Amino acid sequence: MGKRKDKNKVILPPELPPEVDDDEVAVSEEDIAFYAGDSKNAAPFRHFDQKSIDRYVRRVTGRDEGEVERLYEERQKRKATESSGRPREEDDDLEVDPVDALPIKTLQGELVYNRCMKAKKARSDDNSSSVNSKAQEEGADAKHSIKKDEPKGKSKIKKGDDKVKNTQFQTEVPKGKLHSDVLDEVKEELSTEELFEKKKAQLAELGMAMLEDPESNIRSLNDMLSISNDKDQKVVKLGLMSLLAVFKDIIPSYRIRQLTEKELTVEVSKEVKKTRYYEYTLIRCYKAYLQKLISLEKQPQFYPVAVRCMCALLDTVPHFNFRESLLASVVKNLSSSDDVVRKMCCETIRSLFVNEGKHRGEATIEAVRLIADHVKLNDCQLHPDSIEVFLSLRFDEDLEKDEKEEEKVKPKKNKRRQNQEALKQLPASDKKKTRQELISKAREEVDADLRAVSFTLDPKERKRIQKETLSALFESYFRILKHSMSISNSRSKANNASGGLHPLLAPCLDGLGKFSHLIDLDFMGELISCLKKLSGYSDRQGQIPNDNTLSVSERLQCCIVAFKVWRSNLEALNVDLQDFFVQLYNLILEYRPDRDRGEVLADALKTLLWEGKQQDMLRAAAFIKRLATFALSFGSAEAIAALVTLKHLLQKNSKCRNMLENDSGGGSLSCLVAKYNPEAEDPYLSGALASVLWELSLLEKHYDNSVSSMASNILSMANLNPTQNPVPILNLNPLEAYRDLSTERELSKPPGKALSLNLKKKRRGKEFVALSPDVLQKADCSVDKDVLEEKLQNHFTVLRGISENERLRAELNHTLSSINMYKEYKKQKKKNRKLKTGRKKIARV
Amino acid sequence: MAKKLGKKARKFARKNLQSAAKRNRKIRNQINHRRPRRGGGAAREDGDQEVPQRVDDATMATNDDAAISINGLEFPEDDFEIDAEVSDSDGYLSEDPGCPYYSDSEDGDAVKDCIMQDGLDRQNEDMNLDIKKQKKKLKKLLDKDPDFVNFLEKWQSELESYRSKEDSDEDDGMDSMDDEDDSNDGSSRSAKILTGKTINEWSQLVSKEPKSPAIRNLLNAFRDACRYGVHSDSSSLQRFQNARVFYQIITFVLSESDNIFRALLEISDDANKGKIMNLKQSKKWKTVDPLIKSYLQNSLGLLSQLTDNKILAFVLTRLRVSVVLFSAYPSTSRRLLKILLRLWASGDQTLSLSAFLMIREVASLLPDCLDLCLTKAYNTYLASTKLVNDRNTKHIDFLMNCLVELHSLDVQKSSERAVTSVEQLNAILRRASKTKEKEDLRKIDNWQYINCVNLWVRFLCCNYKDYNLHPLLSRVLQVIRGVAHLFPGTRYLPLRLKLVQMLNELSTCSQMFFPIPSLLFDCLEFREDSQKAQTQKAKVKFSSLLKVPKSLLKSREFQEECILSAIQVISTHFAQWSYHVSFPEVATIPLILLKRLHEQTAIESLHRPIKRLIDQVNENKDFIERKREVASFSPNDKASVDSFLQEEKSCGNTSFTRFYASVAENWQPRGRKTL
Repeated sequence: MGKRKDKNKVILPPELPPEVDDDEVAVSEEDIAFYAGDSKNAAPFRHFDQKSIDRYVRRVTGRDEGEVERLYEERQKRKATESSGRPREEDDDLEVDPVDALPIKTLQGELVYNRCMKAKKARSDDNSSSVNSKAQEEGADAKHSIKKDEPKGKSKIKKGDDKVKNTQFQTEVPKGKLHSDVLDEVKEELSTEELFEKKKAQLAELGMAMLEDPESNIRSLNDMLSISNDKDQKVVKLGLMSLLAVFKDIIPSYRIRQLTEKELTVEVSKEVKKTRYYEYTLIRCYKAYLQKLISLEKQPQFYPVAVRCMCALLDTVPHFNFRESLLASVVKNLSSSDDVVRKMCCETIRSLFVNEGKHRGEATIEAVRLIADHVKLNDCQLHPDSIEVFLSLRFDEDLEKDEKEEEKVKPKKNKRRQNQEALKQLPASDKKKTRQELISKAREEVDADLRAVSFTLDPKERKRIQKETLSALFESYFRILKHSMSISNSRSKANNASGGLHPLLAPCLDGLGKFSHLIDLDFMGELISCLKKLSGYSDRQGQIPNDNTLSVSERLQCCIVAFKVWRSNLEALNVDLQDFFVQLYNLILEYRPDRDRGEVLADALKTLLWEGKQQDMLRAAAFIKRLATFALSFGSAEAIAALVTLKHLLQKNSKCRNMLENDSGGGSLSCLVAKYNPEAEDPYLSGALASVLWELSLLEKHYDNSVSSMASNILSMANLNPTQNPVPILNLNPLEAYRDLSTERELSKPPGKALSLNLKKKRRGKEFVALSPDVLQKADCSVDKDVLEEKLQNHFTVLRGISENERLRAELNHTLSSINMYKEYKKQKKKNRKLKTGRKKIARV
Repeated sequence: MAKKLGKKARKFARKNLQSAAKRNRKIRNQINHRRPRRGGGAAREDGDQEVPQRVDDATMATNDDAAISINGLEFPEDDFEIDAEVSDSDGYLSEDPGCPYYSDSEDGDAVKDCIMQDGLDRQNEDMNLDIKKQKKKLKKLLDKDPDFVNFLEKWQSELESYRSKEDSDEDDGMDSMDDEDDSNDGSSRSAKILTGKTINEWSQLVSKEPKSPAIRNLLNAFRDACRYGVHSDSSSLQRFQNARVFYQIITFVLSESDNIFRALLEISDDANKGKIMNLKQSKKWKTVDPLIKSYLQNSLGLLSQLTDNKILAFVLTRLRVSVVLFSAYPSTSRRLLKILLRLWASGDQTLSLSAFLMIREVASLLPDCLDLCLTKAYNTYLASTKLVNDRNTKHIDFLMNCLVELHSLDVQKSSERAVTSVEQLNAILRRASKTKEKEDLRKIDNWQYINCVNLWVRFLCCNYKDYNLHPLLSRVLQVIRGVAHLFPGTRYLPLRLKLVQMLNELSTCSQMFFPIPSLLFDCLEFREDSQKAQTQKAKVKFSSLLKVPKSLLKSREFQEECILSAIQVISTHFAQWSYHVSFPEVATIPLILLKRLHEQTAIESLHRPIKRLIDQVNENKDFIERKREVASFSPNDKASVDSFLQEEKSCGNTSFTRFYASVAENWQPRGRKTL
């Protein structure tokens, strides 16, 4: 149908009869849009158009049919290519592109683009040459292409598409106008607001139609795309958002596959054709839409909108085509400086990680790889958020274990089990065997069914994906670690501005801690030594720990991670963690309440001391003493965390309880160092066992109730047997205890019930409580009599002066006004005289 | 001075007098309509209320302002007190004609005793000359044209009738009667010019016999003296022969009247309110009542009119003895309070002290005034602490102490107030920590908030020992910790130091332990990246700062002040626990920091104080360690721990105590208060 109309148009008589007018109008309308869109190209084209059209119109009918035809065709072509080129972001130069540039055969977008680009280049070259030759050339080109296209159904439909559009435009534009410049005027007359309203309504209509029946209205996607090419920013944004809504709704739950050559050649039923056409249009528009988004993202005014659209798409349809490009730009924006955008992207990536069912984990691995690349490219100077998203990754622990078992343990175990079984099963009957087989068979069947229903990948595939994800994840983590190390080494003396140097380190350490159980054993040794270096351990080369550029929190985190790694690998690792204890021992003193994160310290206490098994006695004593001292100088939250740890250590190491007692000048246990040195750097050399925990007696007076009761609770241990433990009063680990008492928590708590004080009624005597007596004495020395007299007399004089002044002024005013009255009096007199004389005159007369 | 006063008075008279007088008259008229007039001449209505009225307006206005800016810190005042009893007569007393008036023979020349030759007098003289000239001119005119005399008379009578019409419009014809009274009464009075001899005679009469009728004359003279110049009542203007007479009347009445009244009422010095109320029913009272009333009201008038601080202080001290008499007149005592609070908040030291003593007297003698007193004083305090600079820190401190005094009069009552106020502070803090918005933070980062916290801290310090105020203490602590947490960073170091000082005070009074060092790390680890090239010398005084201006942040002075202040507060902390058995441990971490600071600091002037502190702390540490090595008790033996070194403490002769005393002394001249 479209084709026929097409042909009609081509053979149209040149005098532009009113029936075909609409066609012309449509073209002009598009021209306007084009000119408006791209002013750079506007001038030559307008020139060309006007000239040719005017010339043509003025001509007598049928004189030069060939040229007429050519012109007509050309115009049409331009229109067609323009509409298809529009989605490609203002590529208005494509206007004169050959129609065959469209990728009808392949369904592949990139091809089209390339060809268009070429055409564009050619076009721009042509621009400089004469108008005529260009027109001819293009005309020929167009003709050729049409011939070529004709056999292909899809191109027909595409043309028809344009027709539909044209008719739509036609309704809006006043009829009967020929020239583009005239139309220009008309358009200008329409106020921008009206236009906006109209476009909005149009968008809404199209969108509604799409949602109602996507199958038959799929072509309106093109219209929506072209609307979102508007020059009005608001319209563009609206268009993008409505397209987003439409796409979210209509995108199918499967990925659209490219049709092979073979499939294309095979004759198919109408239904299939229809579906194919639908899918083809959908994917073409989707692609165009994405390209538009990606290009708009570079413009600051569209940046948030474009990113939001991409995030929403990635969130809802991660399985669909072109996920790669979506992911790439979302990942790129993970470290955007715009807070809102960054938060949005992080949320999207997180939900991608969490809802793996949507894309079977493929997107996860892609995202992780992309982030890893991103980290590499930016030399670890990114916003921490971009690494923090890894924390939402989920790895199937069972799978991981299975894998391990399969790879390493299983062979052995199986052998063993088989042996055992063989041994055991020798006497067993065959019946049993068959039964077991039956059971296992049934299980397999059920499993298969389950898998089929739940659309999950088969475990092997999943394992593979997870493994790759893990490796990419740890790759970036290790890269960050290495990077921080190299910097801390090279800059150790150059610049000691801490913070901001390793923006990624903190989330990286968090992640390492979280996934510590998944780290390959081969890396373990290296990792630990790396952490050791980072935590500030310096092989005792006299380096001052201050030179380390890492902050205290980061160093504490290193300790925590090392312990977590060690512990999660069943403590089988043969690593010496002693250095980390030394580090913690010193870091406790470096901690500053507002600068460092108290939670990290509490976490370190928890991981290193509270969770550990029995400690070395010397070390435990050193920590006990240091924590007690620490509690004296820091706020209640830190103090309670320290006390909880201290109590735990005392419970575990009953020998250290001697420190609670003062036997003959110090602890009863003697050790290498006889005198306690509070500033020692090595817990083994501090001599803490010889000290007494006097701190606790002062902590009992602590203003915070929980701290003071904890202190007395600990003190009560002194009277108990080594095996006995005091009544537990606070069953929390240091971290929880810290959080409970932290100021933030306290401030966010709802205000307690109204305070009511019950005081015994007691009226104080007249003694003063706040004012010092020497101040009060000043009051009693009354003013000197003479001074007083003088002052009072002065006061009187002044007052009298004032009132005298007032009186005199009144009198003066009165006198003056009296004098003034004289003038008036004279005036009146004159009048009277005049009157009198007048009367006299009258009398005389 | 005198010139200034003159200008002020004139300006005031021009601006406010007319409208205020008008309004007053109206109000009074309304009331008078309802009341039967008193016997002819016994009382004379006049616009004498206008001055206090203005004070009311002023205080109310400032209160309104304060309410806006404090956003809920202050207590609501029920300002229903547009005195219902405004119509109190001004206290003119009918005189006994038997009292002698002496003409002035001995000092007849005293009319022209203007010692002061200031601008006003010269102006007056000029004007006199001018008048003479103009009058001559007028006379000439009159002589020239006799008809003009008639014309002028006609015009004058017209003018007068017009004026009287205007008056009657305003006064609904009420004043015409007053005028009559005035003309009858006032003319007879004004005829009698008061001379020094008269006053002397009267004073002697009254001193000999309090019941003598001369007291009425004296009080009338006092009334005229108090209202002198405020009301351009020409009749009373001429009553005082000279300034000395004026002085005599005022000083005599102020200093003697209390004794006279007490003699008349036959009450002792320690009479309280109940006694006065009892007396009120008696017959005796009825005779004395108008006298007292006149005296009190006119004194108040004097107070609101005077501008000189010394005279004001004098009047206040004189008036203080008769505070109890105010209890009979609630509205008058309210007026008194307002005036007192205004004077209290004024900057002058002696004046505000005497005003405060009077307020305290009022609050303790008149229990039903206490509430009003506390509310008003609290609000006045908040309003006057809005701005703090180098000059008024002392004054604000004084005001705070006064307020604590007032609150300590009835701890039960005022602790309720304290609780509400602290809850308000807490609520503001919570909101700020929730939103973290600049506007909300601003409400904390200002002097009113901090001074309010400081007030309750001081209140706690004074009363913690005698009352169970622990719940209030923990609330206040919460506020302090919250504020310290909300404002980290070097810029807020002055604020932080202030909070630490408060904690030190609380710790001393409650004998609880506060981990002071945790708030001081910022000071002690101050990074010195100062530009050495800085030339301008800026004085940094933390006492009047909460937030350091950015320009000073890197200056050497700021760093110096920072560390010196830190040394000061931390030595307070050390001093408090210098006899405790765990002093070595208390000092451990701060010592490490101090040593590091001593090594690293580049500012020469700081080396010595730091070193001194380190040495002293070390010495005390060794001392305690030596002592506790020989001790036989364990840390869990509470009683022994508490009694450890108590003897030494009571002697206060260790080197650290001495050191701290010297530090505190050094601090005093810097304008810092220490406990």
